[in-house]
Amino acid sequence: MVNQNEVITNEGGSVHTGVQEGESFIEIKNLAKTYKRDEVETVAIEDFSLDIKKGELISVVGPSGCGKTTILRMIAGLLEPTAGTITIAGRPCKEPGPDRGMVFQDFALLPWRSVIKNVELGLEIAGVPKEERRERAEKYLEIVGLEKFKDSRINELSGGMKQRVGIARALVNKPDVILMDEPFGALDAQTRNIMQAGLVKILDKTDQTIVFITHSVDEAVFLSDRIVILTKRPASIREIIEIPWPRPRDRASPEFTALRKRILEELERENVLE
Amino acid sequence: MTFRYDDNNKYHRFGRYALVTAMSLVAFVLVWWVVSIIADTNVLPTPLETVNALVDFFEDGYLGNSAWDYIWSSLKLFIQGFLLAMVLAVPLGLVLGFSKTLNTFVTPVIEVLRPIAPMAWAPVFIYGISYGTGPILVVFIGIFFPLLTNIIFGVKKIDPTLIDAARTLGANKLQLFTKVMAPSAVPYVMNGIKVGLGVGWMCIVAAEMYSPMSLGVGYCISNMCMSGLWPSTFAMLIVIAVLGILTTTTAEYLQKYISKRMGVE
Repeated sequence: MVNQNEVITNEGGSVHTGVQEGESFIEIKNLAKTYKRDEVETVAIEDFSLDIKKGELISVVGPSGCGKTTILRMIAGLLEPTAGTITIAGRPCKEPGPDRGMVFQDFALLPWRSVIKNVELGLEIAGVPKEERRERAEKYLEIVGLEKFKDSRINELSGGMKQRVGIARALVNKPDVILMDEPFGALDAQTRNIMQAGLVKILDKTDQTIVFITHSVDEAVFLSDRIVILTKRPASIREIIEIPWPRPRDRASPEFTALRKRILEELERENVLE
Repeated sequence: MTFRYDDNNKYHRFGRYALVTAMSLVAFVLVWWVVSIIADTNVLPTPLETVNALVDFFEDGYLGNSAWDYIWSSLKLFIQGFLLAMVLAVPLGLVLGFSKTLNTFVTPVIEVLRPIAPMAWAPVFIYGISYGTGPILVVFIGIFFPLLTNIIFGVKKIDPTLIDAARTLGANKLQLFTKVMAPSAVPYVMNGIKVGLGVGWMCIVAAEMYSPMSLGVGYCISNMCMSGLWPSTFAMLIVIAVLGILTTTTAEYLQKYISKRMGVE
């Protein structure tokens, strides 16, 4: 499945990611966030600007506690920026909305609902009729490979399965972008790799734009079209790295290991050990 | 073939549990019997006299009313008090759980009223309001506070990421309430009901003793007592115990079942 030669020939060459290169579509301009409590100000994010293209998977890595999640929550509309603007296809986003799906590190599934009812939640909120809801939810459960578990209860599932429900729940609403907040961080290493490979397959099928927060450089190199490396607090962009290799990628290839090493060194220079 | 107890076999575990429970009850009856014979007083009948009185009570009734009349009368008060507590505590608890300001405003009042023993309200409600509704209000007080505090606690315990998740799916305030907040509070409501029913049942029996109008088991036992019908009195104690056990085990079963349905272990 993994074509070593292809990976090598594409290194630094033409863009061949399997995802159509789209126009710039999410624009983040001069974003900043300052927390203030009892006269003590903490600057979390400073002057963060980024254009995200349609259909790309962009991941954000940075020293732990640098404010990666803060950026994602501001895009989601769950947190108000102190300064700056975020627009999606020209629309400013201030409130949370179904155009931006989110996948949470601890899954955030409703335990009293069955698997399929969890996937249907967004459609239910949008007022989609029951029949259509069920049909669409079933389709996305199939994409994440959980069609046999549609009537299971959440606490009967493993961590990896739970997150697949979380991904289906976000995908089913066909959002403009899916925001993933360390989605595989709560999973063991083996499950993580399986989930990453699964996400690559989903990307092939859906052409979904994804913003992916992770503290795993390996994961970022495996998945991303671009990697944004943040500085330590207050976080701003240190560097953006394009990865034009096709997916699935070979972790053992020399380019892969070289790039991973380079990013790790950058992060180390940010004075925090991974 | 000799029998060997195996702790990994559920039938063995249940058998052992049943046997020890039965032994406990038998031991209790034996001790009672011995004490009643030694004491040799009218006030403490033997278990046999008590069982005879119990049979008589169910066959012949008491003061022209059947046993079931008395039991139903108590249950009716109990159910009314319980429903009143539910109707007031559930919405109030949900609101107080959500609104920090309202909660801060109301908490001092609750903390002043809550420690008052429900029975202290009995004379106030029964002589002050009415013989009929007084006992209902006593039951209400007994159930209301445990229910309310459990619901407030439940709403505060709602996982904030579940709220975030629903918001990113586009939920408005009403949908947040109906699809996330209310369902996540249900297990806590059930826990409140479980605790409240236990307290409420204790209240009803005592409250009926104050009320000349009531016809329940509490009235029945105090009347038997004052008439010196000691075996009947003890028979009534057994009736009250069994009804109490039935209420709490039903509530416990419901609570476990619903918590499981709601995905909370």
